[in-house]
Amino acid sequence: MTTPATASDRAVGRAPMLAVRDLRVTSASGAIVAGLDLTVAPGETVAIVGESGSGKSMTVKALTGLLPEGVRAAGRMELPGRASGHSLEIDLAAPGGAWREVRGSRVALLLQDPFTSLSPVHRCGEQIGWAISGPGRAERVARLLAEVGLPADVAGKYPFQLSGGMRQRVAIAAGLAADPDLLIADEPTTALDVTTQHEVLELIARLQCERDMGLILITHDLRLARSRADRVMVMYAGRLIEEGPIARVMDAPAHPYTARLAACDPPLTHRLPALPTIPGSVPRPWSVADECAFAARCAFAVDACRTAEPRLAEVSEGHRAACLRPETAASPVDGAAADGAAAPIRREVDAAPQDAAADGGQDAQAASGAPAASAPIGPEADAAPPGAAADGAASPPLLSVEGLAKRFPGSAVPALDGVDLEIAAGEAVAVVGESGSGKTTLARCVVGLERADDGRITFHGAATGARRVQIVFQDPYSALNPGLTVGTSLAEALRAAGRPKSEVGELLELVGLPAAYARRRPRALSGGERQRVAIARALAPRADLLVCDESVSALDVSVQAQVLNLLADLRRRLGLTLLFITHDLAVARQIADRVYVMHHGRVVETGPVDSVLGDPAHEYTQRLLASIPAADQAN
Amino acid sequence: MKGLVAGPVPAFVLRRAGATVLLLLALSLLVFGLLYLAPGDVARNLLGTRNVTPEALAEIRARYHLDEPFLQQYWRWLTHAVTGDFGTSIRTGRPIGPLMLEKTGITAATAGLAFLLSVLVGIPAGIVTAVRRGRWLDRVLVTASVVGVSAPGFAIGLLLLYVFALGLGWFPIYGTGEGFLDGLWHLALPAIALALGLGAFVVKLTRAAVIRELDQDYVTFARGRGLSEAATLRVVLRNAAIPIVTSLGLMVAYLFGGTVLIEVTFALPGLGALMEESVLFKDVPVVQALTLAVALVVSVTAFLVDLSYLLIDPRVRARTVRR
Amino acid sequence: MSGSPDRRRRRIPVVAILSAVLLAFVAICALAQEIIAPKALEQDIYLGVVGGGVEGHLFGTDQLGRDILQLSLAGARSALAGPLVVALGSMLIGFLLGTYAGYRGGVVDMLAGRYADLLLALPAVLLAIVVAGLVGRGYWVTVAVLIVLFSPSDVRLVRGAVIEQTPRPYIESARVLGIRPSRIMFRHIAPNIVPIVVANLLLNVAFALVALSSLSYLGLGVPPGAPDWGRQLADGRQLLGDNPLAAVVPGVLIILTATAVNLLGDWLSDLLDRRVVAR
Repeated sequence: MTTPATASDRAVGRAPMLAVRDLRVTSASGAIVAGLDLTVAPGETVAIVGESGSGKSMTVKALTGLLPEGVRAAGRMELPGRASGHSLEIDLAAPGGAWREVRGSRVALLLQDPFTSLSPVHRCGEQIGWAISGPGRAERVARLLAEVGLPADVAGKYPFQLSGGMRQRVAIAAGLAADPDLLIADEPTTALDVTTQHEVLELIARLQCERDMGLILITHDLRLARSRADRVMVMYAGRLIEEGPIARVMDAPAHPYTARLAACDPPLTHRLPALPTIPGSVPRPWSVADECAFAARCAFAVDACRTAEPRLAEVSEGHRAACLRPETAASPVDGAAADGAAAPIRREVDAAPQDAAADGGQDAQAASGAPAASAPIGPEADAAPPGAAADGAASPPLLSVEGLAKRFPGSAVPALDGVDLEIAAGEAVAVVGESGSGKTTLARCVVGLERADDGRITFHGAATGARRVQIVFQDPYSALNPGLTVGTSLAEALRAAGRPKSEVGELLELVGLPAAYARRRPRALSGGERQRVAIARALAPRADLLVCDESVSALDVSVQAQVLNLLADLRRRLGLTLLFITHDLAVARQIADRVYVMHHGRVVETGPVDSVLGDPAHEYTQRLLASIPAADQAN
Repeated sequence: MKGLVAGPVPAFVLRRAGATVLLLLALSLLVFGLLYLAPGDVARNLLGTRNVTPEALAEIRARYHLDEPFLQQYWRWLTHAVTGDFGTSIRTGRPIGPLMLEKTGITAATAGLAFLLSVLVGIPAGIVTAVRRGRWLDRVLVTASVVGVSAPGFAIGLLLLYVFALGLGWFPIYGTGEGFLDGLWHLALPAIALALGLGAFVVKLTRAAVIRELDQDYVTFARGRGLSEAATLRVVLRNAAIPIVTSLGLMVAYLFGGTVLIEVTFALPGLGALMEESVLFKDVPVVQALTLAVALVVSVTAFLVDLSYLLIDPRVRARTVRR
Repeated sequence: MSGSPDRRRRRIPVVAILSAVLLAFVAICALAQEIIAPKALEQDIYLGVVGGGVEGHLFGTDQLGRDILQLSLAGARSALAGPLVVALGSMLIGFLLGTYAGYRGGVVDMLAGRYADLLLALPAVLLAIVVAGLVGRGYWVTVAVLIVLFSPSDVRLVRGAVIEQTPRPYIESARVLGIRPSRIMFRHIAPNIVPIVVANLLLNVAFALVALSSLSYLGLGVPPGAPDWGRQLADGRQLLGDNPLAAVVPGVLIILTATAVNLLGDWLSDLLDRRVVAR
C-alpha cells in the first residue's frame, strides 16, 4: 500500500493535516467498517460516497470519537501540527482523553439535520459562543454570524424562529467557533430544500477557501460529490472500494459498483427509456467474508471475485480500486446512452428470481428490469409510454382540479392558494416544488385525506368512486402494518375493493416480487421491497390514478431506479395514470410527461416536461434548476 | 419578544387561571355531588345514639339545610367555602376551617420535608444514572428505584419504625415533639418513609428525561465541536428541566395520597389523619372540605407549572406571543 | 439497517427471572389457598407472640392467635385477584375509549379528555379513600372504584399511542383503500399499541396492589378478619412491640410482590420497545 501522505501529495500537493490508517469500526454484530485509510490536506475536499449501510457515517463518527454505545473503533489517526499547533497521534482503540484536543480546534463535525442539531431552548448566539473561551466572546459571535452571512440579530433568536437554511448556517458558525483545521460535514444539505442546499454548499466552499480548511463531505449523492470534491472515496458494505481524484473516478470508474451507482442516478437533461439499476441490495458489512462485497450483484464477477477480497490497487495515478477487473467497469458507461450500460445487468436480473426467493433478507431482484429488457428500445427510441404524451391533449381528462384552496388552522399562509390541475387518462404528471410549496397537501386532497376549503376536484369517466385513486407514500418503513404479513395486507385491500383474495400472488408478481413473499412480514423486507408492496396494495382496487407522494425519495439511488422503472412499466402495461409529487427534478424528468411547478401554494409554471425543465420560463423554476448540483458540469 | 411585558403573557396567565377556576368548580361539584349521593343518612349520623324520632330528624335536616334541593345546597356550601367557612364537623362539632388550619402545620412540614428530600436526592441520582447508563451504578440505582416506587409508604413506614425506632431507638415512635429541632427529629421517619417512594419516582423520571436528551443530535453536535462533557451536560440539563418540572408538579398530587397513610402509621395529628378519621366516621362536611382543599392545591400547582414553562421553555413563550 | 434484531445479546436478566419465580409462588398461594394455608383463620390460644415461643408458629401469631405464616400465605389471594381485575378492567376501558377517542376525535374525544382532566386533578388514592369510605367497604366495591379511578390515565395513554399511529402511511393507505374505521381501529392500530398496553398493564397491577392494600390498611376494602396483607399490617402495627413479624412479614411480601411486578413490567416494556424499533 502506498503511504497516505504521498497519495494526498498527488491530490493537492500539500502535506496532509489528517491521516488515518486502517480504521476499523466494530459493533456487536461484526465489522461495520473493515479497514480504511484516509488523508486530507489543508484546503482539500474529500467526499465519502456510499448508500445507506455503507459505513460512511460510522467512519466520521469514529474520527470524532462519537460512536454510539457498543460500537468500537481501531486504527491510528495522525494530526500533524499546523502553524503553532503540535502534532497529535491517536490510537483509536484507546484514545484516552485525546478527543478533548481534537474536537473543536482540530476537527469539527457538522450534522445532517439542522432542525435537531441545535439545542431548542438556547439562543443561537449563546450556542455559538459555547466553544469560545476568553474575552470578546460577543464580538467573536457577531463576526462568525457575519462570516456565515447571517444578520447580527440572529444571536438573540432561538433556533425554532429560524428557517432550516438559517439554522444550518448557525450550526456552521458554531462548528467554526473554535477555528477547526478540518470540517467534517455529514450529509449537510440532505434535509434542506434544493435552493437552500445550493446556498449552504456555496457557503461551506467559501469558508473552506477563506480558512484554508480541510473538508470531508459525507454524501449519498455522486452528483453533489462531483460538483464539490477534489477527491472521492466510494464505500460499499463497510469497505473502501474506490478512491481517487473526482474527475478521474467519475469519468473512468474502475469499480463496477461506482459505474453502476453513477448510471442509476437519473439525468436531469433527458429521459432514459429505462433507468439502469443494480440488482439486489447492499449486504451487511459483517456478512461478507473472503469475497468481493459486490460480487453477488456484479455483472462482471468471475470465480476469483468470490474466493478472496480484492485489495485496493492503483489504476492510474492516485486512482485506486478494489477490483480484479477494473477495465470492465468503465466499458459500459463509456457508451453514448446508458441503456447500453443496462444490458449486462438485465441479463443478470432475468436469471435472478429463483435466487431472490431463496435468499433471506436480500432485495427481490429488480424484476422491473425484466419488462424493460423485453421491449426492444434503442437509444433514439422515445421513452414515453405509447399513447400517453403523444396524444395527451386528445385523450379525455381523468381528473381535473379547479381553484383548490386550503389553509391549515393556525397557519399564516395558505397551503394551497387556487391550484388548477388536469390529468388525462394514461398520462403521467409530476408536481414539483420545495417544502411548503403545497404539493403534498394537493396530493392529500386528491385522495381524500384532506378536505379543501374551496375549489373542486372532479373525476371524469365512468364509475366515480373513492377507490379509483390510490396513494403511495414516502417512507417505506411505515408504509405497511408491521403486524400483518404482506399477503394479509394485500388480501384486505382486495376485499375492500370486492375482489377475490386469490389475486394476491398476481399483485405481487405485478410489482416484480415472488408470490412467496405473501407469507413474509414487512420486517423481513428491504426498503425497496416494502415500497413495491405498497404499490401493489394501491393497485389492488384496480385504481385508475396512482398518486405517488415522494414515493422514491427515501430510497437509495439504485433502489430508486428500480422503483421508477417499475412505475413506468406499470403505466405501459396497465394504462395507469400517475400523479407524481416530488422535490427532485431529475426524477420528474424520468417519470412524467407534463410537470407542474408549485411555489407557496400556487402553480407557477406548467407544461411538457421537456420544455419546462429544458427551457424554464418562470424565474422560480430557473432558480430551482440552477441550484441542482453539477447542473453546471453537465453542460 | 417585547410581548413578554406588553400583553400576550398576562393574557396567557389569565386564560390558564380561568381554566384552573373552571376545573376547580367542576371538581367541587363532583366532590359535593359524590358525597351527596353517598349511601347513609347524614341526619341519622348527626343524631348519633340519641333517640331517632321523625321530629328530631326533620329538625336536624332543616338545621343543616338537608331538605333543600341539591343545587341550592351546593351553592350554599360553595359560597361559604369561598369565604373559608366550610361548616362544622359532625364528629367534633367544631368549625372546619380552624380545625383544618391547626392541623395543616404538621402535614405541610412532613410533606415539605419529604418533597425536599426526594428532590435533593432524586434529581442528582437520576442524572448520575442517566450519564452512567448501563453501568453497575445505574443498574443498582434503577433497581432500587423500582423497589422504592413499588413499596407502599405505610409498609416502608412500619419497617422504619420497627428498625430505627423500636429496634435501634434512634428515633421516637410516636408524637410530634416540641420546638424546631425536636419536631424535625420526630418528623424525620415519616418524611423519609414518604420521600422514599417519591424520590424513587423522581429518579425514574429524571433518568428518562436526561437519557432522552442525551440521545438528541444536538448533544452529538455539541461534543463534535469540542464542548467539554461538563458543558454538554449543562446544555442537556437545561433541556431536561422542562419534563422534570412537569413531573415535580405531578408529585404534589402523589404526596397527598401518601400523607394520609403515613400520618396514620406514625400517629401524626395532621390533615391526613383527619381525613382518615372523617372518612371512617362519615363526617361528610370535613371530607368535602379536605377534598376541595387538596383539589385546590393540586390545581394551583398545575397552574404554577404551566406558568413556569414561560420561564424555561422559549417555544411556549413564543407560541403565547404569537397568539 | 432493518431486519431481525440481534439475538445473541438478548439474555433474560436475573432480576426478571427472580421476579417471575416470586410471582409464580404468590400465584400458586393465591390459587391453592385452601391447600397451602388451611389453618390461616384458626385461632390459637396464644395471642400475639413471637415465633419459637409457641410450637408450630414459625413467625408467631397475631392478636387473634392466628398463625402469621399461614395468614400471610393466604393473603396472596386478595393481593393478586383484585389488582389483576383493576388493571384489566381499567385497561379495557382505556383501550376501547382511548382507541375510539384517538382515532375518531370529536365529541367522544372531548368528553374523554375532560373526564380524565377531572379525575386526574385529584390523587387517585385519596379519591379512592373518600369514595370507598363513603360508598361502601366491600373488597369488590373497592376494586370497582379503583377501576374507575385508574381508567383516565389509561385512556390518555392509549389515546396518545393511537394519535401517534394515525398519521402513519399504513393507516392513511387503509383509509384511502376504503377500509372500515372499526377495522382500521381494531385490526390495524390496536395490535401495534399492544406493547404499550401490556407493559402498562403490569405497572397498573403493581399500583393497584399498593392502592388496595393501602385501603385495607385503613380498614376499607376487605372485611375485618379476612386474610389480607394491608389489614395484617394495620393489625401488626398494634403488635410491633410484642411480635414485630406480624407486620414485617406481610410488609415485606407487599414490597417484594409489587417490586417483582414492576420489574417484570419494565423488562417487558424494554423488550417490546426493542422489538418495535427492530421493525
